[in-house]
Amino acid sequence: MKKTFLFLLVFACSLSSCEKDDICDANTSTTPRLVISFYDVNNASVAKSVTDLTIIGEGMTEGITFSGSTLINGNTVSIPLQTDVDATTFRFILNFGNTNPAAVNEDIVRLNYTRKNEFVSRACGFKTTYLLDPVTPFVHTDGATANGKWINTIAVKNSTIETENETHLEIFF
Amino acid sequence: MKHTLKYFFSICLIFCFLAAAAQEKPAPKNTTNSEGILPEAAVSKAAVKTASSVVDSIPVKTDRYGLRVGIDVFRLARGLYDKDYKGIEVVGDYRLTKKYFLAAELGNENKTTDDDRLNFTSKGSYLKVGFDYNAYENWLDMENVISIGMRYGFSTFSQDLNSFKIYNANPYFGEKPAYPSTERYSGLSASWIEVVAGIKAKVFNNVFMGFSLRLNQLVTNKKPENFDNLYIPGFNKTYDGTFGVGFNYTVSYFIPIYKKKIKLAPIAKKEAPKK
Repeated sequence: MKKTFLFLLVFACSLSSCEKDDICDANTSTTPRLVISFYDVNNASVAKSVTDLTIIGEGMTEGITFSGSTLINGNTVSIPLQTDVDATTFRFILNFGNTNPAAVNEDIVRLNYTRKNEFVSRACGFKTTYLLDPVTPFVHTDGATANGKWINTIAVKNSTIETENETHLEIFF
Repeated sequence: MKHTLKYFFSICLIFCFLAAAAQEKPAPKNTTNSEGILPEAAVSKAAVKTASSVVDSIPVKTDRYGLRVGIDVFRLARGLYDKDYKGIEVVGDYRLTKKYFLAAELGNENKTTDDDRLNFTSKGSYLKVGFDYNAYENWLDMENVISIGMRYGFSTFSQDLNSFKIYNANPYFGEKPAYPSTERYSGLSASWIEVVAGIKAKVFNNVFMGFSLRLNQLVTNKKPENFDNLYIPGFNKTYDGTFGVGFNYTVSYFIPIYKKKIKLAPIAKKEAPKK
């Protein structure tokens, strides 16, 4: 009896010291980013890489960092959406910082969506998931310099943005 | 002097009950040692003799049975210094047999938890019913308790989400401030099993002071949609979903109902076969 007692006491005391740190685990699925894949406009099934693409959010000066760089070279990119408003506008600048000004081309894409706040855990709090507007999910316009749009077509692949494991938007250029 | 000793012993019990428990053993040990010298036949005779002489010379020892009711002082005190907490717990136990007590706790809590990412208020009442087993062998007319027991706890409560933060691993647009919320999750309930280790020491007359440590394991848990029961009144904070710890510090009053004489004969019988 006394042994059980001692054991319980020690056990109870040890619990206070092994309280789980309230830190949100990096592997937890939290607020997802919008995943964009780039395709060749001439051959819609072939992925095409962009060169030195910089995506700048509305009201921001720095480009979005993806894979450690603000210059995106690849056929896919993930961008964060604003969690407090129902629309986010991005400037998609191709060949950003290129010495030849003619090569630089800017398109503006405004994404419209609705948001939902979902509970994750004590440590992480809530996350926001999005649903792209079924009527006008995006508005695509040319940039400040009228040099034509470099993006040919934008297509919605998945309108619900809950994970980063799938493509939500397809861009053909 | 007697009183000083009583207090001293009570304090010892509260703070280092293990030391007090260690002193429990030597008494019977000495008697067995001295008896061990005698030949077997003589021992049983002597044991019977001493037993009867004990009954003759010492006034009959009685155990008091009754109801002990008290209040958790810790929960009350916490309400004074912690503005985010208000709670009350009434405790009671009824002595069933020499060792077993029927025990219960009834309480109400209102606690606001302010975490990094969440701020919520849990409100509700709870009832815990179970038993305590007194593992302590009292001397003379002492009525101290060192117990281990179990409870089944049940709580009905509501949770108000006051504010929350969105976790964004990519805070390109900057970390947003907490969102205010008026969401109320009501009609929640939970039940759990508790293992209780406790001490009660008689400080004077019928007044006892005690504390207990509790380990809780959830059995049922009715969670709200899009939130979790992060704090359950009576159960406390939920760790890893189903685990919890508890504590109380009680002052209680013993209401004696009847007395039972302690029979000394079984003790003499018990000692005889040991040889």
